[in-house]
Amino acid sequence: METRTVRRDEPGAADGEQVPSLAKASGSMAVATLVSRVTGFGWKVLMAWLVGINVYNDSFTIANTLPNIIFEALLGGVLASVVVPLLVRSQDDPDGGAAYTNRLLTVGMTGLAVGTLIAVAAAPLLTSLYVDDSTGRANGDLVTAFAYLLLPEILFYGLFALLSAILQARHVFGPTAWAPVVNNLVIVATLVAYAVTPGEISLNPVRMGDPKILVLGIGTTLGIVVQSAMLLPALRRIGFRFRWNFGFDSRLREFGGLALWILGYVLVSQVGMVITQRVLTAAAAGGASIYANAWLLFQLPYGVIGVSLLTAILPRMSKAAANNDIDKLVDDLSTGSRLSAVMLVPISAVLTVTGSAIGVALFGTGATDVAQAERLGDALAFSAFGLLPYALVMLQLRVFYAMKDARTPTLIMVVMTVVKIPLMYMCAAVVRPDQVVIAVLLVNSLTFVVGAVLGQMWLWVRLGNLHSKKVVRVIAVSVLAGVVGALAAWGIGRVALPDVRSLVTAWVNLVVQGPVACVIAFGVLVALKVPELKPATSRITRLVRRG
Amino acid sequence: MTTRRTEYPMGEGAAGQRPGTLVPGGVVGDGRYRLLAEFGLDERVDAHLWRGQDNQLRRDVALTLLVGDPANATAANGARRVLERTMHAARITHPGTSRVLDVLGPGNGIGRDEGLLGIVVADWSQGTDLVDLIAEHPLPPATAARLLEPLAAAVELAHHSGMVLGVDHPQRIRVTPDGTLRLSFPGPLPEATLQDDVRGLGAILYLLLTGRWPLRNAPALPHAPLAPDGQVVPPRALFGYIPYELSSAAVRSLADDATGGIRTSAGLLRVLERAKQNEDATQAIAAIPPDDDEGVEDDDGTVWTTRRPANDRAKRRKLAIGVTVLAVATVGVLAWVGMELISFFGDSSPTSGGPTVVATAPGSAGGNSGSAAPKPPQPGTPIQAAGVEVFNTKGTPDNPRKANRAVDGDQKTSWKTDKYQQPFPALKPGVGIMASFAESVPFAEVVIDSPSSGTVVEVRTAPSEKPALEETKVIGRATLQAGQTKLQLDTAEPTQHLLVWITTLGDGNVSELTEIGFVRAQ
Repeated sequence: METRTVRRDEPGAADGEQVPSLAKASGSMAVATLVSRVTGFGWKVLMAWLVGINVYNDSFTIANTLPNIIFEALLGGVLASVVVPLLVRSQDDPDGGAAYTNRLLTVGMTGLAVGTLIAVAAAPLLTSLYVDDSTGRANGDLVTAFAYLLLPEILFYGLFALLSAILQARHVFGPTAWAPVVNNLVIVATLVAYAVTPGEISLNPVRMGDPKILVLGIGTTLGIVVQSAMLLPALRRIGFRFRWNFGFDSRLREFGGLALWILGYVLVSQVGMVITQRVLTAAAAGGASIYANAWLLFQLPYGVIGVSLLTAILPRMSKAAANNDIDKLVDDLSTGSRLSAVMLVPISAVLTVTGSAIGVALFGTGATDVAQAERLGDALAFSAFGLLPYALVMLQLRVFYAMKDARTPTLIMVVMTVVKIPLMYMCAAVVRPDQVVIAVLLVNSLTFVVGAVLGQMWLWVRLGNLHSKKVVRVIAVSVLAGVVGALAAWGIGRVALPDVRSLVTAWVNLVVQGPVACVIAFGVLVALKVPELKPATSRITRLVRRG
Repeated sequence: MTTRRTEYPMGEGAAGQRPGTLVPGGVVGDGRYRLLAEFGLDERVDAHLWRGQDNQLRRDVALTLLVGDPANATAANGARRVLERTMHAARITHPGTSRVLDVLGPGNGIGRDEGLLGIVVADWSQGTDLVDLIAEHPLPPATAARLLEPLAAAVELAHHSGMVLGVDHPQRIRVTPDGTLRLSFPGPLPEATLQDDVRGLGAILYLLLTGRWPLRNAPALPHAPLAPDGQVVPPRALFGYIPYELSSAAVRSLADDATGGIRTSAGLLRVLERAKQNEDATQAIAAIPPDDDEGVEDDDGTVWTTRRPANDRAKRRKLAIGVTVLAVATVGVLAWVGMELISFFGDSSPTSGGPTVVATAPGSAGGNSGSAAPKPPQPGTPIQAAGVEVFNTKGTPDNPRKANRAVDGDQKTSWKTDKYQQPFPALKPGVGIMASFAESVPFAEVVIDSPSSGTVVEVRTAPSEKPALEETKVIGRATLQAGQTKLQLDTAEPTQHLLVWITTLGDGNVSELTEIGFVRAQ
């Protein structure tokens, strides 16, 4: 009870009604999300400059995804999709959800601590799973060395996720959105330290005590530690006090059933990930880092537009689902889909046209050579069309979880993975080894197309009319606009611009083609009077004005 | 959403507040009727709906028990009015309404101390509760229309004679084994109007279609969601598959205002008949196979629970699977096209299949070739290197793990030098690949496949696998062209180790060797 009063008196929460409106919440978060995405991307670029796109970067990248993967398997998916809705509901408890929250934190952190220990012990095993060094193009030992240093991140990922879930349930979004920025800054500092550390990482044999390995590994883990520590002041401000509470809440059982399916989701998606990484590491050095960076670039627009929309829309949807208010649920879904289409399809067009220029412009300097950077850009160009399907899959996922249906997303993931695996091996067989990464990202996007179609169909079976016609119409118009924009930019590139050969030509291409494609695509949307553009543009103008 | 009879103990508890009355096994009507099970409660007149047994005729009856204090004049008047209206309506004989067997009032079949103001006794209808029928799923629209039609017809018949039937409460309605709705607990409210009956029919239609009750009088059922204007939302907005006509009929019958509303049961009846005919047509076309999640069969085993209320969903499911398969197939084709595209773009960069350039051996290559050069050897058969390593004299070796890619016979793989800031010999004098052979053989040719034109390569013999550069001897030199370059060697002196040494890098201070072939002398 006390915590609730404190929350009402909290100045941040006092300026609106109890539940902040969608636009307001997502607007304030968008800036933070944007900054965190940009800095997050910044350190990856910096890494490519300082380390190069090579075996070192590959090894670090793979090792750095391991704690993420294990955290996801242990808790991640469950947290994002189940704990927040349950936390929201627990606030109607007589104690304002304090006991439930403590229990969750105790049980969750204990489980994670055990999981972390096991994961660190099993690091060589994990490496051999994700890295196929049989062709001699990857270095499993180096991955293992990094993994020992990076796997303890699991615990802090978990802490961060649990704490931000608690804050989100109280409609406190700020600190959770800003903390990753701090993490990114720590990693930037780490990379600088890495660059000034003397010596070379010896590949044969890999030595754990190598100062460069230690700097990179420990610094990166430190970033996550700092990130979760950032949330503690905010928690104290909402009046939350942690107490060990090992009891079992009956709602955790409900959570248990859901969690099993979500765990299945994560595991199935990891099967896809394992295959992807093995195909990449077997094909060519630099593949894993190109994949990771291209995927990051791919997610960047979604991250800024999609996530800020989703994080705000999720509590609304779970509320609508809890009230069995299907109309509202469908409405949120439809609005989300249409806004995503209008925003993301033109961006896909821009990425398709300027892909290789982006790759070279961002990565083609320092230790990375132009060919690898261009390959990265090509990979982006070939997969950019998947941006909207990806956003739709994420949105549908939230709808399923809001309806407390964790089974269907898992089944959809199974179908996506079943489609993905043969196509991945087809990449390895059909395409030249150094180009495999491009094909892998293409396949990735295609599986999202499958996922989006599948998700929409099953939601339709479940909920009835989804205003699909409206959504499809908006998508069609957006695609038309995107194609027009892309063609215009491509034409200009052919007629007036030099080929992308170096950093300078890449920037010239990017600076000319990007805005042309963007302006023309959105211009077509404006000319066709697409109504969805209005909330989207007003949000952007508001952001710009604020920035 | 599920409202089952088992959830009613609340109602029984409320009845228990009046001691001695309305518990299963109890008797009412001066001991004539034994109470078996409660089936509902119409709170508006405190009418408890029970299944009972006629102790004399030994048959089941439906009892509508009007509970109240006889001293309360308003309640007593209301109850009397209910009984009167029921007696009038009892003249109607129709499958849509249970036959009224008896109407009992205080002093007229009911004991003074029973706490009852009246009892309506009607034939017991076998079958299921309406509430149970829709508890699992809403019904398919056509089924809903067919179920409701006889009840609407009964209402219509009653209205012809100016009588109110009182069908505005869901728990008073039961589903008969032959698949119709029947008013099983008759007893119109004191002030019910003809319009109320029509509204009741609309509400039942709404309930059948959506599983929610749009009127305020049945708190046990989930209430229909309201639009912002305070009206219930049309069924079609909840389930898109509901035909517009039925959806609108349900809403229009509920509407209070005269504009656009359905005011007579005849109007509603016509809509139902049309909907039923539509369904007959579609059923003749496609029989829907049973779907699995509908497994609970009511213990009454009536026709209706074994039907598939969700056959519309099954249809959609089929369509969904079809569309998904189509999407997967399309994606497969797109993936293939995409990869061809990638290969196409990839091939545009020159890596293989360039022109073959023959670099004749320079007469006296290398200053340190002290011995007199014999005649150039004649090329014989190609020989495979036993092992290759990157040969490096200064700094870190360039891509040491990939050296074997230059001799793996695969045009798609290559070994590459690092990318240097400045041309050799700024950082190191050069970099190369040391090939070792199983035995000492005389060499005639080295064939190098490379995209890096401008690269200058020396071929040197070496005394061991890791010699100093000074210990090696130049036996050939060439500037590579994009594609294949043949280096003819100027000595056939047998050697076990051969070094391919890059002294000048290609464009961008990087060189790539796709394939190196060694040809022994005859």
